[in-house]
Amino acid sequence: MALLPSNVSFSRQILPVLALIGIACAVLYIAVGLPDRSTAEPTTEPPKATGELANSARVAGAGIVEPASEVIDIGSALSGLVTDVRVAPGDRVEKGQPLFLVDARSARAQLSEANAAINEARAAIAEAQTARKTAADQLALYASLSDPAAVSRSEVIRVEGEAQAAKSRLAVARARLNAAQARASSVRTEIERLVIRAPISGEILAVNVRPGEFVATQGGGNAQPFMQMGETNPLHIRVDIDENEAARVKVGAPAIVSPRGDADTRVEAAFVRVEPQVVPKRSLTNSAAERVDVRVLQIIYALPQNEASDAFRVGQQIDAFIPAKEKGE
Amino acid sequence: MLTGDSQKFYGLLFGIAFSTLLNTQQLTIFVNLIERGASGVYNAPEAEIWVMDPVSRTTEVNYAMPSTALDEVRSVEGVEWAVPHLRAPASVRSSTGDLEGVQIVGVDDATLIGLPERLLATNKSILSQPDTVLIDDVGIINLFESGEDPIGQRLELNDQRAIIRGVADAIPSFTSQVTLYTKYSQALNYVPGTRNRLTFVLAGVADGETAEAVAQRIEEQTGLKAETREEFAQAGVDFIIQNTGIPTNFGITVVLGFVVGVAIVGLTFSLFIRDNIKQFGALKAIGVTNLKIMRMVAAQAGLVGAIGYAFGIVGTVAFLWGFSGNPFFKGFYIPWQIPLISLGAVIIILAITGWLALRSVLSTEPAAVFR
Repeated sequence: MALLPSNVSFSRQILPVLALIGIACAVLYIAVGLPDRSTAEPTTEPPKATGELANSARVAGAGIVEPASEVIDIGSALSGLVTDVRVAPGDRVEKGQPLFLVDARSARAQLSEANAAINEARAAIAEAQTARKTAADQLALYASLSDPAAVSRSEVIRVEGEAQAAKSRLAVARARLNAAQARASSVRTEIERLVIRAPISGEILAVNVRPGEFVATQGGGNAQPFMQMGETNPLHIRVDIDENEAARVKVGAPAIVSPRGDADTRVEAAFVRVEPQVVPKRSLTNSAAERVDVRVLQIIYALPQNEASDAFRVGQQIDAFIPAKEKGE
Repeated sequence: MLTGDSQKFYGLLFGIAFSTLLNTQQLTIFVNLIERGASGVYNAPEAEIWVMDPVSRTTEVNYAMPSTALDEVRSVEGVEWAVPHLRAPASVRSSTGDLEGVQIVGVDDATLIGLPERLLATNKSILSQPDTVLIDDVGIINLFESGEDPIGQRLELNDQRAIIRGVADAIPSFTSQVTLYTKYSQALNYVPGTRNRLTFVLAGVADGETAEAVAQRIEEQTGLKAETREEFAQAGVDFIIQNTGIPTNFGITVVLGFVVGVAIVGLTFSLFIRDNIKQFGALKAIGVTNLKIMRMVAAQAGLVGAIGYAFGIVGTVAFLWGFSGNPFFKGFYIPWQIPLISLGAVIIILAITGWLALRSVLSTEPAAVFR
C-alpha cells in the first residue's frame, strides 16, 4: 500500500473505520426507514355514542327524518289540467287551505246548464199553477150558476180535465225543479272537488305540479306525488333496529341522534312509539338495488324543537344510539 | 497475523460480507414481500379493529355482511365509532379500451375513514366531487402504461363513469393490483350488485379499553369476526405464507447464503490456521496456553467478522436505497431484527469454522515447530 503513509495500514486501520462509518449509516437508514404502523385519529369525527351511553350497553341504528304526520302524498280526486298552484315548497298551510286548482270550466258549464234547467222548471211551475188556477176559477164559476142548463155538461167535463192536467203538469214541473237542483248541487260538489285542499295543517315539502300539467286520478304506482306535505313541528325520526338487536332496546328511553356527515351535532330525541310490525329493511345505505335481507324493528322518536334540530331535514339519514336494557333486566 | 496475509484476509472479508449481504437482503425482501399481504390493513390508518364475516380471511379474501352489521358493531360497548368499509374486485375499462382488474375500496362517506393517510397533490375533500376515484400510485403504472397523466382520466366501472381526481400514496398490495379509492355510496354503484355489499366494519376503541378486549366483545355480541389491526395484518401475512411458495424459495436462498458463508470462511480460515501451524506451535512452545491461542484467534476472527458484517449490511442498505425509486420496492424497509439475525449467523459461521480449524492447533505438540 504505497499510497498510504508507512505507519497507517489499510486493512488494520482504514477498513475498520470505514466499517464503523458504514454500520453507523446503516443503523441510521434502518432506524429512519422503519415504517409508521401507528394508528391515526380520524380527521372528521365519526358518529359515536357520547355521555353515559359511551360506556354502557347501547343499541345503534340508522334512521331517517320524517314529519310527525309522516309524509302525505297529496292526490287529486278528479283528473284534469292544473290551472293554479297556490303554495310553494316550505310554506306553512292551515287545514283546508287550497293547494292547487284543477280546470273547472266544464263543471261550471254544467252548473249553468243546471241553473237554466232550474229556471225552466220554475217557469213551468208558474205556468202550471196559472193553468190550474184558471181551471179552478172556471169550475167555481160553473158551480156558482143556479141554472144547470146555462153550461153544457161537456164544457164542465173539459174544464175539470184541464184542472187535472194543470195539476199533473205542476207535479212534473216540481219534479224537474228538484232534479235540476240536485244536478246543480252535484256539479257544485264537483267544482269543489277540483280545488285540492290541505288535509292537515303543516308544511309543504314538495310541489311537483305546475299550471298547465295534467293530473290524473291514478296517483301512486311509480308516478311522482303531485305534492307532499307533513307536520314538521316536531320532526320525527324513524330508526331501524336489526331484529337481532331489537330485544335489547330499552323501550321508552331517549335516543342520541346525529345527522349523517355532521356527527358533532348530537340531539337527544324523545321516545314516541314502537311500530307494531317488524318490516323488511328498506335500505338506508344508498344501495343501488334495493334488496331485502334483514328485518328491522322501527322505533319513532321526536326531535326536540330547538336550534339544534335545524340541522335535521325531512328525508335525511341519521345515526342513532339508544340505551339498551341492562343485563338481567 | 491475519491482516498480514492480505489474500486470506480479503477472502475471509468477502466471504462474510457476501454471506451477510445475501442473508440480510433476501430476508428483507422476503419480509417486505409477505408484509404486502397486510398492506390493506396498513393503508387504513384509523382502524383499530376490523370486523368481518366469520369466513373472511384477509382484506382481499372477504365475504360481505348485511348492512345492519354496522349498527350491530356500533351497539357494542367499548366501540368508540364504527364506519362501513367496502373492498371488492371490479373490472375497469380505461379510455384506451383496455380491461384491467381493480380493487375498489369504498370508504365511509362522511368521515373518509379508511383512506390512506397521505394523498399526492390533492386533499381528501376531493372525494366529495361526483364520480371521483383516487388511484394508488403503483396502480398508475399498471393502468397507464404509456405514461400519461392519470389526473382527470375517465374510467368506466360497471357501466358507471369514474374520474380519477387524485393519487393516494399507498403501500401496494401483494399482487400490485390497481386500487381505486372512492366513497362507500359511490363504490356500491361501481361494484356489480350482489345481495350484501358491506365487507368490513372499521371500528375505533374507546378510551380506557384495549382493542383485544373490545374485539372479543364484538365477537361475543354480534357473532361476527373481529380482529385487531395487528391480528388482521398478521392474518394477511399468514395467508401469503400458506398459499404461496415464497417462504420456501427465500428460505432456500438464505440457507444457501449461510452455506456459502460457511464454505468460503471455513476454507480460508482452515488454510490460514494450517499455514500458521508452525507459529502456533512456537507460541505453544514458549508457554502460551490453548485458551490464549483461542482468544487470539477469536479476536482476529471477530475483527474480520465485524468488518465483513458491516460491509454486508452497507451493501443491503445501498441495494434498498438504490431501488427505492422502483415501484416494486415501494415501501420496503429493513426490519431491525434482520441485521441482528445476520449478525447471529456471522457469529455462528465464525464459531463453527474457527472451532473446526483450531482443533488441529489445540492438539498440536509444541514440537511441531521443528518438523
